[in-house]
Amino acid sequence: MEASYIRRTKDGRIHIKSGSKGDQVVRWTLIILLVLTVVGFLLFNYTGLELGSAIAETAYNLKVMFLEPTLSHFDLGEAVYQVGITLGLAFLATIIGAIIAFFLSLMVATNLAPAWVSRIIRIFVAVIRAVPTVLWVLIFAISAGLGSEAAVLGMLFHSIAYLVKAFSEGFEEVDKGIFEALKSSGANWWHIVRSGVIPTTLTYLLSWVFLRFEINFGVAVAMGAAAGAGGIGFELFMASGFYFDLREVGFITYSILIIAFLLEVISTRLKRRYFPATSN
Amino acid sequence: MSLLKIEGLGKSYTADKQILKNVNFEIKAGEFVSIIGPSGAGKSTMLRCINRMVEFNEGKIIFNHQDVGSLNNKELRKLRTNIGMVFQHYNLVPRLTVIENVLHGRFGYKTTLQGVLGRYTEEEKERAFYLLEKLGIHEHAYKRCDQLSGGQQQRVGICRALIQEPKLILCDEPIASLDPSSSKVIMDHLKSISTEMGITCLVNLHQVEVAQHYSDHIIGLNKGEVVFRGEGSELSAEQIQKIYETNTKDLIIE
Ligand SMILES: Nc1ncnc2c1ncn2[C@@H]1O[C@H](COP(=O)(O)OP(=O)(O)OP(=O)(O)O)[C@@H](O)[C@H]1O
Ligand SMILES: [Mg+2]
Repeated sequence: MEASYIRRTKDGRIHIKSGSKGDQVVRWTLIILLVLTVVGFLLFNYTGLELGSAIAETAYNLKVMFLEPTLSHFDLGEAVYQVGITLGLAFLATIIGAIIAFFLSLMVATNLAPAWVSRIIRIFVAVIRAVPTVLWVLIFAISAGLGSEAAVLGMLFHSIAYLVKAFSEGFEEVDKGIFEALKSSGANWWHIVRSGVIPTTLTYLLSWVFLRFEINFGVAVAMGAAAGAGGIGFELFMASGFYFDLREVGFITYSILIIAFLLEVISTRLKRRYFPATSN
Repeated sequence: MSLLKIEGLGKSYTADKQILKNVNFEIKAGEFVSIIGPSGAGKSTMLRCINRMVEFNEGKIIFNHQDVGSLNNKELRKLRTNIGMVFQHYNLVPRLTVIENVLHGRFGYKTTLQGVLGRYTEEEKERAFYLLEKLGIHEHAYKRCDQLSGGQQQRVGICRALIQEPKLILCDEPIASLDPSSSKVIMDHLKSISTEMGITCLVNLHQVEVAQHYSDHIIGLNKGEVVFRGEGSELSAEQIQKIYETNTKDLIIE
């Protein structure tokens, strides 16, 4: 009788996983990925590859890029201005995206919205998220023309989809006892959102917004190059693709690194300053 | 005159299992009534039917001359302002201050806009401090709720229920997560709420002795049916055995 509760392998060892379908799927996914990786490396086209000189030349290029950075086609003031433009693009897309995502995720969180509304928006958002940002930018470029408008719209679109998923998962984590308590005192839906949901998830929401801002900064750099959105990304594109000026590429890369680093520092600082409970 | 009258109440979550069966009882204004019964008997479900946090299937609940089952959404919100609720796990918003949590009890009286802007009148704030002082936690008013002990949090929960100015307070195992001495503090407060403020209390309890000591009446629930209804002193060993379906000597009674 007792033995029937214990699951054993064929050689008599006891399972501690429930052995559900989920576990099986995870295991097979990992195995297939491993096989594909190995096979992939074997199938590369290696003709014309001279490993020795390839490594040496790459090393030389990297040395020029990172050890001798200079500006030759524009000055420092211009560089700062261009970085500002890129930051601006990222900022716009993130802030507008966060506001729209907030309201949408209230309609996606299963503890706040009816199941059918939640499901419909969830599917939309999943589709939007599945298409890469660059593609969205190019799609919007059809109507808005290549440039900063299309870039912001595309980034905005993807940011919304990304943040809706993050936000709604945060909302769903809110203790249902809080809902019960507020509801039983006669609170309506907006009261519950305002006084139960927002206070408990605010730090969580803000850290996702910071993270998305960092991502959007990177995307904005790429969009400057790929979609002519301007900013430091466009200068990077010109320096590498047009002038083949490795030293300038190095300089621009450093400036982007510095910004990324600053963003990281600022977001950590902000969190520690305003939300001491979550940062420790 | 009864404040709460329950007639033939029936509830099932799923078709195959009836959680409450033909429950009948009345509670007078100002009474202190405990519901005891084994785990899964339907005590929590019973309480939540009264303010329709759970929708019941059969029977009738009359609260304060109102037929609870027939209320529309707006009337239901109004009804809920008249019924405070206290929970085993306090259910406070942990990141907010004590005073903010107490004031949440006023939402039932507010429009959406007032609530969203977080507008409370000075009288409401005065009242909140008065209640906090009455329960002896006014010194913690500006602390975040997650910095308080369980017993203190439960007192905040009681303040939140009281600021609703309710006629009835439902308590779902208010002391189940507390040590004996905080339990006593909480039970004493609840008792004084019913005797001094005249607010009716309906309390789910797991401790038979506690129920006997504090209650005017005890309701024994087993498998969704009322198997005992009477005063604490009438609760004999056989009655307890009937409620819990075990020998009294197999029960922990402190
Ligand atoms: N939301 C729900 N959906 C389905 N079944 C439920 C739900 N809530 C409770 N039940 C079932 O109803 C029965 C009674 O539950 P209830 O919580 O009312 O018991 P209780 O007397 O409060 O028990 P305890 O003393 O453990 O708190 C249990 O069998 C439980 O499984
Ligand atoms: Mg219960």
